[in-house]
Amino acid sequence: MPTLTLLATLSPPCNARTWSSAPHPHLPIIATACSDKTVRIYSLQNFQQQSTISGGHKRSIRSCAWKPNSRGESVLATGSFDASAGIWRRWEGGAGSAQAAEVDFTSGLAGGGEKDEDDDDEWRFAVILDGHDSEIKCVTFAPTAPLLATCSRDKSVWIWEELEDDNFETVAVLNEHEGDVKCVAWHPSEQMLASASYDDNIRLWSEDVDDWACCALLSGHEGTVWCVEFEDANNIYALGSSEDLNSKQQAYVQTRLKAGPRLISCSDDMTIRIWRRVPKDKPEQPAGQIKAPSIWKNRDFEEEWIEEARLPQVHERPVYTVSWSKKTGKVVSTGSDGKIVVYEERWKDANAANGDVVMSGGTPAPDVEDLSAEKVSGSEGHMGGLTEWVAVASVDNAHDVFEVNHVVWAPRADKGKRSEDEEVIVSTGDDGEVKVWTLDT
Amino acid sequence: FDALAPAYPSLADPLSSPEASSDSASSDEEREEIDEQEVYDLISTISDPEHPLSLGSLGVVKLDDILILPPTSPRSRISTVRVLITPTTSACSLTTVIGLGVKVRLVNALPPRFRVDVRIKEGTSRTADEVNKQLGDKERVAAAMENKSLVNVVNTMLATCE
Repeated sequence: MPTLTLLATLSPPCNARTWSSAPHPHLPIIATACSDKTVRIYSLQNFQQQSTISGGHKRSIRSCAWKPNSRGESVLATGSFDASAGIWRRWEGGAGSAQAAEVDFTSGLAGGGEKDEDDDDEWRFAVILDGHDSEIKCVTFAPTAPLLATCSRDKSVWIWEELEDDNFETVAVLNEHEGDVKCVAWHPSEQMLASASYDDNIRLWSEDVDDWACCALLSGHEGTVWCVEFEDANNIYALGSSEDLNSKQQAYVQTRLKAGPRLISCSDDMTIRIWRRVPKDKPEQPAGQIKAPSIWKNRDFEEEWIEEARLPQVHERPVYTVSWSKKTGKVVSTGSDGKIVVYEERWKDANAANGDVVMSGGTPAPDVEDLSAEKVSGSEGHMGGLTEWVAVASVDNAHDVFEVNHVVWAPRADKGKRSEDEEVIVSTGDDGEVKVWTLDT
Repeated sequence: FDALAPAYPSLADPLSSPEASSDSASSDEEREEIDEQEVYDLISTISDPEHPLSLGSLGVVKLDDILILPPTSPRSRISTVRVLITPTTSACSLTTVIGLGVKVRLVNALPPRFRVDVRIKEGTSRTADEVNKQLGDKERVAAAMENKSLVNVVNTMLATCE
């Protein structure tokens, strides 16, 4: 059984609640959004604070996000309870190398204070994005286009397009949620956005002709949905090489490949759920059969998503964050009970491995067609899966007795790194600490 | 700087069991001390935002409606305080503020190992579900406590405590 081991506590800690952390897309640093209105940038090589972003927001910074593919210059978006989002820039220079990080730290010591003025000056405030009526809960850059999504207690999701440096234009204001929007997350390869809300629902949004609109409503959670995230397209390969699979398993892999990346969500109802798109087999019904389902939306635009699986319920209080590893397909979750839990998806042993034998033993064997998603949807979604999720490691009281607000996978970058792809888990809690954990097998 | 990183107790945590070893005695004593009566004493003196009366004297908080739930497992150190509040009228518009005051008072006064759940007593308010959801939402409570006018109202309510 793997174990979660504390590798380091980032230093110095914040003296107020830390909300969430975002690992840089290619540098060994992580940004932590703090309720003291700052963002702290820590090195994942030596676990020391490298710089601080402050002075831009009047209230808690709830969320921050790095712009992907921005080599040469790091771009960070911040979302605050003051209803504004900020864009900050810093030339990367040599900051990515271990040496530069050490130098930064040393100069910080020489300055004699926790905050090094020169380091702080490296971050340039670029632009403030105003528009939301109340607290911004989450900000995130799209991986496929120059788009930024923000969401707020004002029940709306905004999509901003970066036209040129520091010029952001609002391309959509999406108002269909009936409560605070807690989290937004982009699809890794399509221009699709997921949002999680206080109204207990998840919505998916994409561009219909020229306008962004809701293309799917995912209902089922019985409490605020705190967090959503798409998986990496390659997660399917975490289940193992295709040569070893039986026919049912291969059919499932095909369904998954056709459906594309799944979505994971966690909620106040203490559950963590996985949702999968139902692939559209037929491009379009014959024209005569369309009973004008909607004047405004074309039929092809709307998507059906089903709940495919529910993770084992380990948490005893609201679950605030789930994070899906892009490297291993493992999931980590945390929440109000202070636990950090890691889960793994596996083929269901007995039945799956010896599927043919079991079938001949009298169990009605679903044939390949039955595995098509429509059928699965008819059987309550999570009952139809050939895989199962298992909690493989957990730690109690991860931040002493405090609530843990956030966990995220990040590439391991310290000297103890054991393999090229090794990851750590970074957790952020009400004690103001940011902790780094390894998963040891 | 290494000294700043706390040595994290792995596996068996001595603090986890109520009858723990001697080195955690102080923490255990602290745990023993907090009972329903003490929680009641902390919140009964809160002033009603409308009347010059305390929540205890108005019957908004009652000793019988306070429940302390121990940790759910030997490994957990998290206890829960559940307080049911009874609004003075079923449509009391200030129910949310009262609930917020009770929550803030307990979060500030109790050790951090307590999770504070403040709910409206069933059948006493038409807006109970809505208020319960708000009071249970950590993010909303945190944001409310950064809102000066709300903080002023809550501080006035809590001024009569201690």
